[in-house]
Amino acid sequence: MATDSEFPCSLTLSIPFPDARLASVALRSIAVDKELSPLVQRSFSTTTAADAETESQSQSVLQVEYKAATNRMLRVAVNAFFDSLALVIEVMQELDIDVLEPAEHSLGDNS
Amino acid sequence: MANDTATTGKKKRRIALGCEGSANKLGIGVIAHDVETGAATVLSNVRHTFVSPPGTGFLPKDTARHHRAFFVRVAKQALSDAGVRIADIDCICYTRGPGMGGPLTSVAVAARTLALLWGKELVGVNHCVGHIEMGRAITGAENPVVLYVSGGNTQVIAYAEQRYRIFGEALDIAVGNCLDRFARAFEISNDPAPGYNIEQLAKQGRVLVELPYAVKGMDCSFSGILTRAEELAAQVKRGQKGPEGELLTPADLCFSLQETVFAMLVEITERAMAHVGASQVLIVGGVGSNIRLQDMMGAMAAERGGSVYATDERFCIDNGIMIAHAGLLAYETGFRTPLEESTCTQRFRTDEVFVKWRK
Repeated sequence: MATDSEFPCSLTLSIPFPDARLASVALRSIAVDKELSPLVQRSFSTTTAADAETESQSQSVLQVEYKAATNRMLRVAVNAFFDSLALVIEVMQELDIDVLEPAEHSLGDNS
Repeated sequence: MANDTATTGKKKRRIALGCEGSANKLGIGVIAHDVETGAATVLSNVRHTFVSPPGTGFLPKDTARHHRAFFVRVAKQALSDAGVRIADIDCICYTRGPGMGGPLTSVAVAARTLALLWGKELVGVNHCVGHIEMGRAITGAENPVVLYVSGGNTQVIAYAEQRYRIFGEALDIAVGNCLDRFARAFEISNDPAPGYNIEQLAKQGRVLVELPYAVKGMDCSFSGILTRAEELAAQVKRGQKGPEGELLTPADLCFSLQETVFAMLVEITERAMAHVGASQVLIVGGVGSNIRLQDMMGAMAAERGGSVYATDERFCIDNGIMIAHAGLLAYETGFRTPLEESTCTQRFRTDEVFVKWRK
């Protein structure tokens, strides 16, 4: 990625999820809120892991590209993102349909 | 766990999950509305409060961290208490504003995640309207003048033509904010809330110290009173005598502050009542749980041939059930908040909401 002179400090994060559905839920939940500072820019996408084998693993990686005017701003923005991400993941782990109602929503044999 | 769908597939109840976190209380509740009568039933109402050490207030970053840390726990409790299935839930309601930015957003992120995981629509709710609608539902008050008083808001509201119109308000800081910040001067505990502890301490007050009384027409102002009260608190802590040579205690100052600010609230409420010809008053918001305020307001209302309505701390202190209730009322009129628009805002005037569910 070519360095943007206005936003020289950049970081790309790739967060693997179990499947595309969860990666998409995470993206859509977090992307709604705009960055507070005009000196930070952020873009989201979902991608497929290089070692993905099955169809369900396609588009299961959440990719976030951050660029900022200073390293401090980059650090603050990325830390805030991780706070939100941790919350989203915890909600998925504890409150997804198949977790709350396992008997009725059995996902079958996941072999 | 009753199945809410009869054999014909027609729903008997509409159910909403509500999430609130605009200040230091994280509240999640589940409400049911009877499809035919509209009667509201509280299925669950769970809350966890972020309490900061004595002498301090709660800061946005720490408060947001608290809400993120407790969301799942509180949500699980609310769902378990309610005993509903995900399929029975119609919508996820969350506080859009007003309030503190970081805390509001932390709850909104979790609400969005639930909505997406469960395939439910979102409803963004105005915090003040949540308080008003819950107060109406619990007390059954028909069309009262509403005094909404909390750490973040002080408004006198009357309903007219599908808007909750603000007749009077605090021009600078909310009355609850005045009380909460005064508590810090004496390092009064914030557990369960600084206002509650001021109320208890005030009962031991004997001396009424003069404090600036700042009613300005239909509005009022509290920052000058706070400054003077803090000044007196510093004198008391230094062992100095009061302005009239008397020895003052923290209890005397708590008492004097309450008497002064509550008298101001009674005055602006009465002014609004005279303006609209109402005799009923509904007090909502955390400061509304103060018994002294309820008594003073009750005395004024009685003189006008009316009465005061108030709810207990389950409903007047910030909670999730009020968000679920107000949100479900809006949802039933067709209101939706698309995911991409499910942001939060620190400023959100009560009269910005179109109250479609009332005539």
